[in-house]
Amino acid sequence: MKQPKLLNSRNIAILAALAIAIALPLFLRNNQYVLFLATTVLLYAVLASAWNIIGGMAGQLDLGAAAYVGLGAFTTGTLLIRFDLTPWVGMFIGALLAMGVATLIGIPLFGFKVKEVWYALSSSALVEVFRATFMMWNKVGGPTERYLPFSAEGPRSWYLMRFNTYVPYFYIMLALLVIVFIINQRIRYSKLGYSLLALGEDEDAVEVLGVDSRLCKLKALMIYSFVAGLVGGVYGCIYGYLHPSFFSTDMSLEVVILGIVGGMGVTYGPLLAAIFLVSFREYLRASLSGMFPGKGLEGLYLMVYALILIVVALFQPRGIAPLIKRGFLKLKSFVGVK
Amino acid sequence: MTETAIQSIITGVLMGMIYALIALGISIIFGVMNVVNFAHGDFVMFSMYLSYVLGTALVWDAVQTPLLTFPILLIFGLIVYYLIIDRTLRQLYVVQLAATVGLQIMMRAAALVIWRGQPRALQYSFIQGNFEIFGFQVLTSRFVAALISLIFIAAIAYFMNKTWAGAAMRAASDDLDAATLMGVNYRRTYALTFALGSALTAIAGGLLMSFQQTDPVGGIRFGFLSWCVLALAGLGSIPGLIVAGAIVGIAESLQVTFFNPQGRLLAVYAIFILVLWLKPRGLFGRK
Repeated sequence: MKQPKLLNSRNIAILAALAIAIALPLFLRNNQYVLFLATTVLLYAVLASAWNIIGGMAGQLDLGAAAYVGLGAFTTGTLLIRFDLTPWVGMFIGALLAMGVATLIGIPLFGFKVKEVWYALSSSALVEVFRATFMMWNKVGGPTERYLPFSAEGPRSWYLMRFNTYVPYFYIMLALLVIVFIINQRIRYSKLGYSLLALGEDEDAVEVLGVDSRLCKLKALMIYSFVAGLVGGVYGCIYGYLHPSFFSTDMSLEVVILGIVGGMGVTYGPLLAAIFLVSFREYLRASLSGMFPGKGLEGLYLMVYALILIVVALFQPRGIAPLIKRGFLKLKSFVGVK
Repeated sequence: MTETAIQSIITGVLMGMIYALIALGISIIFGVMNVVNFAHGDFVMFSMYLSYVLGTALVWDAVQTPLLTFPILLIFGLIVYYLIIDRTLRQLYVVQLAATVGLQIMMRAAALVIWRGQPRALQYSFIQGNFEIFGFQVLTSRFVAALISLIFIAAIAYFMNKTWAGAAMRAASDDLDAATLMGVNYRRTYALTFALGSALTAIAGGLLMSFQQTDPVGGIRFGFLSWCVLALAGLGSIPGLIVAGAIVGIAESLQVTFFNPQGRLLAVYAIFILVLWLKPRGLFGRK
């Protein structure tokens, strides 16, 4: 049997991408806008990659990403405002809380065999329910923004996770992305991953083969909600305030779009989709905002997103990842590397 | 206290009839084609805007506008079916759902672009005022809306049970292969089902416009409400839809009256979750 080489072309490509990502802030140090854009791209890539576990592999259309993000943000922010607890710890508490809520809802939902459209509906309603709850819960949320504290010593504070530049946030998101990629890859080639993939195709057949589909789906949901909660903690710090509008249906939908357009079940798919689509959205916002006052612009990029989603769903249900892969293989054979 | 509660229940029941009419649309689409139209609530939002446009342009009353919006949505439904739904019938479930989620976003986005996200309302309907039954006030516009909804629900029930096309729909729902062998053209039947289900939202939209305004995000609420009604009623029972609509309407109305109007979806969500857990087939489900 041929031993796989450590420095095969795939690993080289991964390392090169990582090196470019790490070096990116060095070139963009003076351009905060592009850094913010890059951070946003990574943030959505992390969320979409986490979604990939429950949506892409297990085939459960979860529309509740923003519920977990919002919970993470509110827990982290409230702990910081009320108890002066650093977000570095707070984000993990927030993630655990998000996971706890997801588990509490997930156990009966999966236990009673709620699936397909009903699961999608209950998860998308979760976002609206949390927004309404936090809107009414004046001790933590309420209709006015709550600002996170700045440090007295200066604009930068590691303890408060507040910086006057986006570079640290960029690296935090990059680290999260790498972690999520590793989790994705580990799950993909484990027993859980194969069960999830089979589940996505035919749930009854999997049950007959003796796989506990409920437990598998629950595990996928727990990992996904934990990561989303973690992202939420950082999300609050990046924006510097807390508001019930963090529970946004648009955000959940965007995560799903990235996951599906990128290619369900493919680890690097969501990142590719995030790079294309999120930058495109920001480009539209930057270049056309004068022409569409009010909420018209929001509608415009949502329209393009929706069109891309429909076209991909109709003509390329496996997402854009296979296209990229084919291109990569062509390139390899063209260069002559094996 | 009791009086306020009864007043609130009356309002809830009347609203519930419109919810039942909206839910009837997804019920026949889901029941016959096993296709989930995630965008159904946005069809309602869209037809409300359409009613607004036509009502303003022609100086028509909101209740008259379905005369025009009904055929428009019928054609819109046909276009959507042949462009999108027909191609996703044999896809994975997630992909099928994703296509209609895309449609939902598209319609909301179109409303944002065209009407800039501002809520719109028509001038006062000629059906207005209120009357008294046993000392309780009933708004005439809502009463008429509920009545028209019930008439259309009955008409659809008649259509499904007594006409050839309705029989074809029910046959396709029960056993597609056998129905095809019996000479049912399943594509045409599906297209008709989808168009009819969509067109029902035109009536609901016109009725809703007679006493409330419309805004682009309203579609999410109507979508969720109608799926909740369907979950409560179960598939295949039209009288069940009316009862379920009334229950959902009452729950929403009581929540708004006695608690916080901001959380109007909370009570509905509670019902939805409880039904999914305790009675996944709904209260009156046939299958």
